[in-house]
Order: sequence, then structure tokens, then C-alpha cells
Amino acid sequence: MLGPRGVPGGRAPGLALQGAVESAAPLSRLHGQGSFDPADFTVPTGREEQWRFTPLRRLRGLHSDLGAGDGKVTVAVDAAPRVAVEAAQHGDPRLGTAYLPSDRVSARAFASFGEATVVTIPSGAEITQPTWITVRGEDAAGPAFGHLLIDVRANASAVVVLEHGGSATYADNVELVVGDGARLTVVSVQDWANDAVHLSHHHAQVGKDATVAHTAVTLGGGVVRLAPSVRYTGPGGDAQLRGMYYADAGQHLEHRLFVDHSAPNCRSRVTYKGALQGDGAHAVWIGDVIIRPEATGTDTYEYNRNLVLTDGTRVDSVPNLEILTGEVVGAGHASASGRLEDQHLFYLMTRGIPFDEARRLVLRGFFGELIAEIEVAELRQRITAAIEGELDRMIEAGPGTVFADAPAEPTGDGHR
Amino acid sequence: MTEAIGFVRACALAELPAQGTFAVELNGIPLVIIQSDGEIFALQEFCTHEDVSLADGEVYDHTVECWLHGSCFDLRTGKPTGPPASKPLATYPVRVDGDDVYVSVPAS
Repeated sequence: MLGPRGVPGGRAPGLALQGAVESAAPLSRLHGQGSFDPADFTVPTGREEQWRFTPLRRLRGLHSDLGAGDGKVTVAVDAAPRVAVEAAQHGDPRLGTAYLPSDRVSARAFASFGEATVVTIPSGAEITQPTWITVRGEDAAGPAFGHLLIDVRANASAVVVLEHGGSATYADNVELVVGDGARLTVVSVQDWANDAVHLSHHHAQVGKDATVAHTAVTLGGGVVRLAPSVRYTGPGGDAQLRGMYYADAGQHLEHRLFVDHSAPNCRSRVTYKGALQGDGAHAVWIGDVIIRPEATGTDTYEYNRNLVLTDGTRVDSVPNLEILTGEVVGAGHASASGRLEDQHLFYLMTRGIPFDEARRLVLRGFFGELIAEIEVAELRQRITAAIEGELDRMIEAGPGTVFADAPAEPTGDGHR
Repeated sequence: MTEAIGFVRACALAELPAQGTFAVELNGIPLVIIQSDGEIFALQEFCTHEDVSLADGEVYDHTVECWLHGSCFDLRTGKPTGPPASKPLATYPVRVDGDDVYVSVPAS
């Protein structure tokens, strides 16, 4: 649907070249053409760059055509005052204005959702009380699809909590439209049951001088693949994408970030941290940034850290940066995956802190800076408790779970 | 080796190439049946390295080689004989009865 924009005929060659350079068409190999029609995407085989880390066999057909969308997932909204909540049907002109599905599952979700939820924050309204959206799955047997639009009008500000739980095979798209000068804080918690499969796109369209702060907290679920993306429609936009995840045995937790710097003088920060423990725990982090030729004055940095707590886990962390203009304020990325530093633990133990407690302290510090940024106090406490609960589970499993043949020096790779 | 329970029919002998593979799912377990130099083996279908189907792999010298990254596995033990895989494949007992191949897999 969104093909590369053709160069209009009849122009002088110089102008034609300029037109091609300023084209809004996707430039990246990873982020090619989008479409609302699932038929425009071939069924992934697992060898595609977009899908190569995802265990397709565990998706229960979400990526192919299995299932008619008869799964049961309920969406309940506890709205703050002045926040309007409506149900919208297919064909509602507000849906799909900011977001174009970029893969087959996303296009399927857009084509198949039963009823979309539209949350509107009126222009100029400054709402500090969070709007709580609870997405609950009843049954993982059949696939379910959903769509959510959060429309923050110009100069408004709002806090939205998206909480996922229960058992489901669920694919959805979340559109975040942040108007000029507006500010939106979103915290999305994925704490599904162990059998849940959840594939989701969260796309933020950031207006002139607008700010979006998006935090993903992924703790529970069999396969969770969350793809937050950002596109700017005017200069001065700011996107802060934060995330934390804790993968246990058998869990596949994947986060695919994409920031499309399409306007000048915008800023983006991506900060994701994760921990892994147990056999078959798999975390994937993909951080893509494109700085288009017109996006001069861009300031971007992507950051990913993974703490590998036991043997048998796997981390894939891939930052990609495509820079098409040299006139940037900053552009960088960093990724490292490794064990808890032995010297940190040793230092704490020389101070009389037992090994388990020392590990807990270091892990608390690791996630602490991200948890502290969450603007909802109730969530801060719950997430802290949930992460400590995860660590307790590993400690209960006994010392045998921790690196059978630990190297003398902590391992680490990546670059900065 | 997995504990031998009931043998389940996997395929006909005729379906199996003389030096090659046949993918089948028994009791919900994806398997690859491999014939090499007249012997028949049953192993887990997916490479322990990157989850690639070994049914598309190459069979030689009592090993199967993953087509994508070249990990080799010994057909008799399932153990990797070359990197990048480091973990063994699960192996299953095989019985040939008449014209059919039977594999012992755990009940689903």
C-alpha cells in the first residue's frame, strides 16, 4: 500500500533527485513496506530477518491463517476524569491513521479485531490520574485480536497504564497519537499466564514539541513479542522508550524497538534492561533507528543490558542504526549481555551480606533506575515486588541452577 | 535415550530416501527419521542451535548437517560433532516392521 514514492515525471533531473531523497517511503531493509491487507505479507517461515528469533511453532497459527479470532480477550477501561472512552468499529476513520501494519500478524490483527477501544484526552487537559486499561485473556485456545487508540490532543497530558494478564493467544495494535505540545506517559505491563502468546505493536505518532514516554514491563507469558515504534510528525518531538523484562525457563520475551527520525530536531532515548534465568529462557532485543536525510539535529541513543543469571538461557541483542544525514546532535547505541559481576558480589559479601542477599541487591540496583522512572507509584511497588519474586524463585531452586562451570571472569560482549 | 514406551508408526520404508530424511510429528513431537548406510535413526527434528529443521539437512558419515549454520550431529547418539550447536539432539528407538518404520516416543 505504501510503495516507494515515484518521482513525478516532467521534473528536471536535479529536482527529481531531491524528490527521491525526501521521500517518506521506508528506506530500511528491516522496515520495508506496510499494508493493512494481510495478503500483502507472505506467511513467515522463520528465516526472515523480522522473524528469525521468534519461535513460530509456538504462535498457534497467529502468523499464518489458523483460527478465526474466536478467542476471548476482554478490554476494560478505568478512565480518569475528562478522559473519553468509546468503542469503535471497523471503518471508523480515526483508526489506522497513525499506524500502518508492518508485518503479517499486525495486519491480521487490524483486519480481524472485533471492536476497537478509543481513548481520547481533550486538548489542553492535564490529567495526572492514570487511566487504567486492563486486557484480560480467558482462554488461549483460539486467537484473539484487538486494537486500541489513545488520542492525546494538542497540549494535553495524560498517563495510561496498559495491563495484560490471563491466558490468551492475542495479537493487537496500539496506536498512540500524541498531538502537538502534548505529553503521553504509557506503561504497558505484560504479566500473562505461562501459556499465553502475545504479539503486539505499539506505535506512537509524536507531534511537534510533543513527548511520549513509553515503558514496557514484560514478566509473564509463554511468547511475548512487543514492537514499540515511534514516528515524528514535527520538529521538537521527544520519545523515551524504556523497558524491563525478566525471562524464566521456557519463556520467549522479545522487544523490537523502532524509532523513525522523520523530522528535524527530535530526540529519542531507548533504554531496555533484562534478566534471564532457567533453561530455555530467551530474550530478544532489537533496537532500530533510522535518521532520515531531513531529520537534522537528531539526538538518539539506544541502550540494552542483559543479566544472565543461570546456565541454559539465551540472549539476542541487536541494535541497528541507519544514519542518512551527518548533521546530528548525537547518534549511538550500546548493548551488553553478561553475568552478575563477581567482584560486586564479593565486595558485598566482604561486608557481611550473604550471597543471595548480595545478588538481590545488585539486581535491585540494575532494575532500580528504570522502575524509579515509572510515574505510577502503585505500579512501582508491584513491579519491584514481582522482580524480587522472580529472583526468589531462582534462589529457591538452589545453587545448582547457577552456572555449573562459571568462568573466573564475568563474560560480556557488545560494544559501546 | 528416551524411555521406550509404545512404538508408533512413523512412515513407510519406501518414503525414506536411501541416504536422507523424512520429517514426521508423533505424539506432538516433531521428529526427523534418517536413513544412512542402511541404518534408520529417529531424532528430534530441530537443531539445538537455531531451531532449524534438520529434515532439510545433509546426511553423510553417520551424521546429519544442519543446512543453515553447519552444525553436525551424530545419528547414533544425537551429540553434536561440530559447532555451532553444543547441545545434543534427543534420539528415539526405531523398529522396522515389514514395510513400515516405527518409533518409540513418549505419550503426549
